Amino acid sequence: MSIVSVAGLSKRFGAHVGVSDVSFRLAAGERAVVVGANGAGKTTLIRMLASLSRPTSGEIEIGSDPLAGGAADVRSRIGVLTHETMLYEDLTARENLHLHARLHGVDESVCEELLETVGLADRGGERVAGFSHGMGKRVALARALVHDPDVLLLDEPYTGLDRASLDRVEAVLEDLDRTVLAATHDLERGVRLADRILFMNDGRLVEDSSADRFPSVESALDRYERLCRGEATPHGADADDGSETESGTGAESAS
Amino acid sequence: MSVGRYARVAYEVARKDLLVEARSKRTINASLVFALLIVVVFSFVFGEQVGSRDVLARGALWIAVVFGGVVGMSHAVTREGHNGALDGLLLAPVDRSAVYFGKVASSTVFVATVGLLSTGFVVVFLDYSFPIGTLPTLLVVVFLAAVGFSSVGVLVSMLMLHSGVQESLLPVLLIPLVVPILLAGTELTQPALSAPMTSAWFRILVTYDGLMLVAGWMTFEYVVEG
Repeated sequence: MSIVSVAGLSKRFGAHVGVSDVSFRLAAGERAVVVGANGAGKTTLIRMLASLSRPTSGEIEIGSDPLAGGAADVRSRIGVLTHETMLYEDLTARENLHLHARLHGVDESVCEELLETVGLADRGGERVAGFSHGMGKRVALARALVHDPDVLLLDEPYTGLDRASLDRVEAVLEDLDRTVLAATHDLERGVRLADRILFMNDGRLVEDSSADRFPSVESALDRYERLCRGEATPHGADADDGSETESGTGAESAS
Repeated sequence: MSVGRYARVAYEVARKDLLVEARSKRTINASLVFALLIVVVFSFVFGEQVGSRDVLARGALWIAVVFGGVVGMSHAVTREGHNGALDGLLLAPVDRSAVYFGKVASSTVFVATVGLLSTGFVVVFLDYSFPIGTLPTLLVVVFLAAVGFSSVGVLVSMLMLHSGVQESLLPVLLIPLVVPILLAGTELTQPALSAPMTSAWFRILVTYDGLMLVAGWMTFEYVVEG
């Protein structure tokens, strides 16, 4: 059963098309990574799913609730981590988490466990202003999880992190037993995390593939570049272009 | 969605704003210095030339409140834009007007504080004493002016948040919109005014507050959504 359902989703910014007619479904517990170059529409897609941006057309359902009619209820089911931390620098890490716990009507006691999970239990009383980017991102991940959401939406979760923070964030995400949709440039980590890969180019979803189709990151990258150049036919189309053999493909698309 | 949940989110937003401001003091310091400068400049430029101290005092007070409030609003919205913090509030599972009312509440406390301290600046630097009998009216008018200023100020400053020219554009848009507050404030704080609470200016101020709060309640979601 689908927990995320997107149908004909589009977003225009004046004459510019940010996202064009994107449709896909995610089953409960499924992990998908959205891959694309800068300007491909990844962030716009994530922001629309998070109810932070209003679609020009199309429909989004989280669970069985349409986002258009019941955004407030839907927001209790999603956790969002973007490239910005959404934290107040004059508050401590613990105060930031407590604020978001109260906004979601959740007991504050969960915050200590989350600080432990992201490896900042001993720094919870410090102001976020003194944190490195990586530490801020780890607090932001705890913030996104504070209300135990069914669906986690991630926009560039690995950008700008040092090795320790990268490993910690990756470990936390791998241990999560929930639906994840992540937009990332870090294809290597993205592929490790995901069951599915959604390739986007110029606002369009050009292919929705099982991650198993790609034996290596290079093969996924190669596939993406060929799709963008129009040299490969999207998986599921009538004709095939041969690149799938090269990429070790042949598995069923999970879409 | 329950009323209690809605009120709780509004309360948490206001509480957060006041806690952050109490800790950093950036917004209040900038506003108060600006308000103080206005009163001091009025004192130097007009002190000996304006015949009526009352006119001078009321003019300086309300210009200090409006311009100090604009400076504060600009700082406050910059803080919400930093790290995308506003998005975190908008992800709360309630109608987004709860965030609006929370921010109006904290901004009202802030603007009212600027108003009260500006009154003190006027007393000290313009050597003007508000008659004791007018103080309750002054307090009520400053509060109502703060509500009206905040209800429109929060809306306009959020509109400017992603404009990139927020600091220069905010005063241009906000000050014309708060002219009714400026006029009502100066009229309602006349010492000679009898029964100010039943005057037309008082009704205008209350109506302005109500209209702006309703406008904010109805439009905030559209203003903050990209």
